[in-house]
Amino acid sequence: MWQGNGKTAIAGIGYSEISRRPQKPLGLLAVDACRAAIVDAGLGPNQIDGLATYPESPFAGAGNRDGEDVVSVAWMMNHLPLAPDLRWYAQIETGMIASPIIEAVNALIAGACEYVLVWRALHRPRWRGAGGSGRGDAPRVAGDAQFLAPYGGSSIVQTHALAWQRYLHRYGATREALAALALNSRRNANLNPRAFFFKEPMTRDDYFNSRWIAEPLCLFDCDVPVDGCVALILTTAERARDLANPPAYIAGYGQNTASRRALLYYTLDDYMACGASLANKLWASAGLGPQDMDAAELYDGFNPSTLYWLEAAGFCPVGEGAAFVQNGRIALEGELPVNTFGGSLSEGRLHGMGHIAEAVRQVTGRAEQRQIPGASAVCAIDGSPMLRGSGIIVTREP
Amino acid sequence: MVQHCGSCGYYNHPPRPFCDACLGQELRFVPVGGRGTVYTFTVMHQRDVAGFEQEAPFINIVVELTEQPQLLMVSNLPLSERPKLRIGAPVEVCFEDRGDGVVVPQFRII
Repeated sequence: MWQGNGKTAIAGIGYSEISRRPQKPLGLLAVDACRAAIVDAGLGPNQIDGLATYPESPFAGAGNRDGEDVVSVAWMMNHLPLAPDLRWYAQIETGMIASPIIEAVNALIAGACEYVLVWRALHRPRWRGAGGSGRGDAPRVAGDAQFLAPYGGSSIVQTHALAWQRYLHRYGATREALAALALNSRRNANLNPRAFFFKEPMTRDDYFNSRWIAEPLCLFDCDVPVDGCVALILTTAERARDLANPPAYIAGYGQNTASRRALLYYTLDDYMACGASLANKLWASAGLGPQDMDAAELYDGFNPSTLYWLEAAGFCPVGEGAAFVQNGRIALEGELPVNTFGGSLSEGRLHGMGHIAEAVRQVTGRAEQRQIPGASAVCAIDGSPMLRGSGIIVTREP
Repeated sequence: MVQHCGSCGYYNHPPRPFCDACLGQELRFVPVGGRGTVYTFTVMHQRDVAGFEQEAPFINIVVELTEQPQLLMVSNLPLSERPKLRIGAPVEVCFEDRGDGVVVPQFRII
């Protein structure tokens, strides 16, 4: 088991407004979320002496302007009255959402700083084109894109559709599996006042009548793109016990280290290999297994990802996810509640930060109407699964 | 043409500076037979792919070329092939001249 088990904790959560058409630029939303997290923890900005973020632009073709498309460490240093002698920061692009948290945990255990602010700001860019095709007047592309763009195959939803088609073929699954996941997420979002779809229920007919995006994926198999930011406060377990909320102890973490040298797009086999790589390290570090989880917050940028995670992380045997998610098993009152806050599908595309925030809420008894009685251990895992996925386990007790 | 390793005989796609199988650098492009099977497919409806806004819906296929297991390439099938399209269907290459020196491999079900 990992020597850092239970030595650090998440002590505060902050959300900005989550919307499709924000009145504020992303940098201001990020400051809103960060200030909210600091207040939630019972701290002042001048006590924050560590900063970490994962600043990637949401997809190819987006801009890279600080405070508009991304929100960097430098932005936060310039727009919050932080500790005058800020001691540690990191801007992590080699992992995913949990990676700045993992680095913050390591920094805290090493004594590099005392209170770390972690945020992820997500921008929904206006369409600016994702590369050329060689058809018509579209621009030329180079590198690996030249093997996708001339076929109109450069949209991320297509890669997920291609893998999911393969899953349907290999295991004889049907759209009912994704319908069950989407409806579960929407029911949970209807209990989450921060969710984009808080006030909009969804029926089975709504799901099956929605338009195709990339067959076999429909509109409600895609997350809802939003502008917004989620921030978290991390500190050592000892310090966390003196703050405003019960601590959510970090029991373990894991990152994917599987990769493939030549990669045009992620196949189903890649998703499963990457997922297993992450999950094996996650369980080993915490000394816990899927059977110990009171809920699972699993990345769902596209709906099939949740199913891949259930299998890759060992919640059910590979190939049995479609049956596993039926009959209420993943509902709030079920055997394994999944994406209890609505997921990216129904809360909004916060790139996995919503998953982590909800895991914290569940193990600290702060999950409002969605609270799972006695929840003591919850995992939050991000990534498709693919290269750069990361995950953590939080627990009620250290 | 697909990149082929002179050391171990492995086909690499997309092409790389090192062989995927043995990390060798004796790589050259060699002709392949242009036949394979449909590994997977999607019908794209969303009009957000640059240059293809007016094409949707259109079919993307992943072809597993006969030369090697998991030698996968992305291409298209005409929408008229939809009724015959399924994973494992045998396909054969044809070439589409898009003008300005651009010729792209396309496929038909055989």
